[in-house]
Amino acid sequence: MPLALVLALREMRGGLRGFYVFLACIALGTGTIAAVNSLAFGLTDGIRAEGQAILGGDAAFSLIHRQASAEERAFLEARGAVSTVATLRAMARTLDGERQSLVELKGIDGAYPLYGAASLRSGEALQAVLAPAPEGEPVPAVVEPSFLETTGLAVGDDFALGRVEARVAGVIAREPDRLSGGIAFGPRVMVPIGALERAGLVGVGSLVRWRYRLAGRDGPLPDDALKALVREAGEAFPSAGWRIETRTEAAPGLERSIDRFAQFLTLVGLTSLAVGGVGVANAVRAYLARKRQTIATLRALGAPGRLVFATYFVQIVLLAAIGIAVGLVLGALAPPLAAAFLADLLPVSGLMRVFPGALALAALYGLLTAVAFAIWPLASAYAVRPSALFRDEGPAPKSPIRWRFVAATGGAIALLAALAVAAAYDRWLAAIYVGAAAAVFLTLRVVALLIVAGARALPRSGSTVVRLAIANIHRRGALTPTVTLSLGLSLTLLVTLSLVDGNLRRTLLSRLPAEAPSFFFLDIQDSERDAFAAALTALAPTAELRTQPMLRGRIVAINGTRSEDWPDTEASWVLRGDRGITYDQALPANSEVVTGAWWPPEGPAGNELSFASDLAGELGVGVGDVVRINVLGREVEATISNLRTVEWETLSINFVMIFSPNVFAGAPHAHLATLTFPGGAGEEQELALLREVSAEFPTVTAIRVKEALETVNGVVQDLVTAIRAAAALTLIASVLVLAGTLAASHRARIYDAVILKTLGARRRTLIGAYTLEYLILGGTAALFGVGAGVVAARFIAVELMELEFVFLPLAALSAVALAVAIAVALGLVGTWRALGEQPARVLRNL
Amino acid sequence: MADEAMIAVRDAWLTYGRGASAVSVLRGASLDVPAGQSLAVTGPSGSGKSTLLMVLGGLERPDRGAVSVAGENLVALSEDALTAFRGRSMGIVFQSFHLIPTMTALENVAVPLELAHAPAPRERALAELAAVGLADRADHYPAELSGGEQQRVAIARALAPRPAVLLADEPTGNLDEATGAEIADLMFASCRERGQTLVLVTHDMALAAQCARIVRVSEGRIAEFAVGEAAA
Repeated sequence: MPLALVLALREMRGGLRGFYVFLACIALGTGTIAAVNSLAFGLTDGIRAEGQAILGGDAAFSLIHRQASAEERAFLEARGAVSTVATLRAMARTLDGERQSLVELKGIDGAYPLYGAASLRSGEALQAVLAPAPEGEPVPAVVEPSFLETTGLAVGDDFALGRVEARVAGVIAREPDRLSGGIAFGPRVMVPIGALERAGLVGVGSLVRWRYRLAGRDGPLPDDALKALVREAGEAFPSAGWRIETRTEAAPGLERSIDRFAQFLTLVGLTSLAVGGVGVANAVRAYLARKRQTIATLRALGAPGRLVFATYFVQIVLLAAIGIAVGLVLGALAPPLAAAFLADLLPVSGLMRVFPGALALAALYGLLTAVAFAIWPLASAYAVRPSALFRDEGPAPKSPIRWRFVAATGGAIALLAALAVAAAYDRWLAAIYVGAAAAVFLTLRVVALLIVAGARALPRSGSTVVRLAIANIHRRGALTPTVTLSLGLSLTLLVTLSLVDGNLRRTLLSRLPAEAPSFFFLDIQDSERDAFAAALTALAPTAELRTQPMLRGRIVAINGTRSEDWPDTEASWVLRGDRGITYDQALPANSEVVTGAWWPPEGPAGNELSFASDLAGELGVGVGDVVRINVLGREVEATISNLRTVEWETLSINFVMIFSPNVFAGAPHAHLATLTFPGGAGEEQELALLREVSAEFPTVTAIRVKEALETVNGVVQDLVTAIRAAAALTLIASVLVLAGTLAASHRARIYDAVILKTLGARRRTLIGAYTLEYLILGGTAALFGVGAGVVAARFIAVELMELEFVFLPLAALSAVALAVAIAVALGLVGTWRALGEQPARVLRNL
Repeated sequence: MADEAMIAVRDAWLTYGRGASAVSVLRGASLDVPAGQSLAVTGPSGSGKSTLLMVLGGLERPDRGAVSVAGENLVALSEDALTAFRGRSMGIVFQSFHLIPTMTALENVAVPLELAHAPAPRERALAELAAVGLADRADHYPAELSGGEQQRVAIARALAPRPAVLLADEPTGNLDEATGAEIADLMFASCRERGQTLVLVTHDMALAAQCARIVRVSEGRIAEFAVGEAAA
């Protein structure tokens, strides 16, 4: 066994005393990262493993507005078993018209589901319960429990759905393919697919998504067959405009969201590791100070400096390994625990195992952090000289800078940063984080130096309390650097998250009444548009009604480059899937052409379109580019003739693309409308209007903007809660670091307190001095945290989330109060005992 | 410099601190110690006794002057070369023992042998412990040993690599009279048996008198003081 290891193991017989904070810091950071990544891996695995069930088949072909043609159906049926499912948003209302609910309606055929099992709470078979009802009988419907809560209905009750009556025949316990839909704005209601037509919900241009799921007749289609299917479908029906998904990518959007979210939490975990790193450095420094005599003895006995360094380095690595092991156990336990909470929301089948990749990544982060923060204090082992054994030299002398340790520390930090960027889902974001973290770290070091220098330069105060407090801030071994660094870092994170969260919510909710419409109405048929407009004008004479033709289309290619081959950008979502599109003769009122020119009133000569300027910039398209779009199974090309501004945040009708009217002349379509009350509308006014409209136009889908935003806000809230929980871990790490630092300085505090008490200082004076010291330190850390947090939050809000940024004093002030409270409370708890010591007893033992 | 001298110090000067706080500890100290001789260094507190010992052990470099031990010019050696030389050629016994608390008595004695990559370090360490009468305490930790036992372990540790020179700084200073006498006997006997050169710093004139020669450090210089019992 190498001598350094032998000596390290002997040294470690002393136990873990003095290393609990070290271990906790490493375990906490490693555990967070291990848990987050295990969870993300597990959920992604689950989505892949349950890909067939989530997608509802080996492959799914989805069309919007139209059903598959006979030829297309025949093509699919020749290649496997086919199940057809139609989804749309619709209005359900009680028969007395008192209550209504926007529902996520799903029509299923007899083959549903091809994979996975759908179940009802009653235990009955879904297909038996949803057997199509005879003409004149209510349509059978199974619903999610929240539908019953919203409408006050019970199983067996009837309700109105479009133009038919439906009966609640059961409550859904499990819907295997639920995740393939997007965000749900209402409860799921499932009916036999034929009922949609009877209910009048499948009109021209209605926003119905038709999904044709295909499964192999003799077990799942092999991968080759699946690839061949996709290729043949493209060749046979090049203009079908269908979106083809396969089981390998059943929920790509969800996977992307999980990855993105996991990355965000990993960065928060890294911050907690960085805060913990300060604790690591402190623990190593304190440990080496205790070991000075042993090191000097080893040196006197002939141990070279590098052997001494290696001995203590090995110990730190072994200790880090213990901390990492604890963190990994906690991280490994997270997925099965989370499975219990997420079972209703996400596929959790992948969570009941250990994820070596995620654990290895977390272990690497933990080890690199420990090494990066330990090398520098470890270098002081070199400075210990055997002459220390002959006389008490006081604190270790300052060693000259040893460049190889500077290089080693720099190397470990660079590796840590490289790993954070390389392992990230969004490397650009990770790189920004690394840069920002480094800047905050360095600035905090400078701030600490400035506080010390400032305290030293202050004129002598006449007050003993102030004099003691100021002396404590700048004396050798003062708490100033640690408190500033650990508290400053965690507060920066906390303030950043509070301000981003606050601004996001402010944008979502508080700006609504003045500018946003109260309702969106979907699926207004051409034939009923005038009647609808007249009815709404009568019902809400003061409100402004705007209608717009509404089609769904998918960009197939730009300038001949297929969408899937277009370079990946922030705005790539525009190219994925269907977008709402419209045509118009005139430029929308709230828009302005920034490049090119709007078409003349008599219409352009060719097909033209106007593109939202911000997204065009991100996508890299401009005036003169040719966009090929598939609408209703027909592909058309149009040239971008102008770019226009769009105020997305007003929530009025906004489209990425507006075409010149000639492009879709004669194409069947429905209309979209918004209703805006000047100055907003009250809850009752909105509900009353909703009742009237639902009763008069049962096939028009009404979306109350406030409810929709509450749904979005609910989702945002859940995410914010998770992020806050992770951020809380960072704060815990900083509390641990502070507690560790205070514990390490405890002896010196007792010594000070006893000497001062012996010399006549009263307990009140000492408490006053300590309180003032912690107030100054906590306050400075808080001020910095707020400053840096505002800069970071502003960047995230404005640059990444494209929100308007407003400083929210309450969020910032709570962080300041928290910091000061933590610093003072911890500091006083630590010194309380010091004050209680009997001078005689301590002096005898000095 | 006499060829046969095991230790030779010539005009050594050493100042701690700078400017107003500078303290000159050695002011042209010179000393020759022949091989196998036992030498006691005495003097008042702060006279530079321990500093002289540190200079002899290569733990402190004089600002000027020459120091040679066992034919090696210590002033010219690098830090690591000095460390290796110390491990090979010098044993040091401290007033406060300075055993490593996390190691057993046996391991403490074995450390210098392990550091020098000597063969069979544990067996040799056990033999050294037996020589100081502590074979049965080999597996005890320092905290489980009395002061006298700890110092005996420290002597066994210092002697284990068979150094040419043994340096001792107040080796009985922390012990009662009877134990101190035992330790001194042990040290002198070992040095005599092995022909080692012994340099002993002490306030205790009775202990100093057991050496062949006594020097006195005063104001940074060394002066012959007396001939001890061992010279007889």
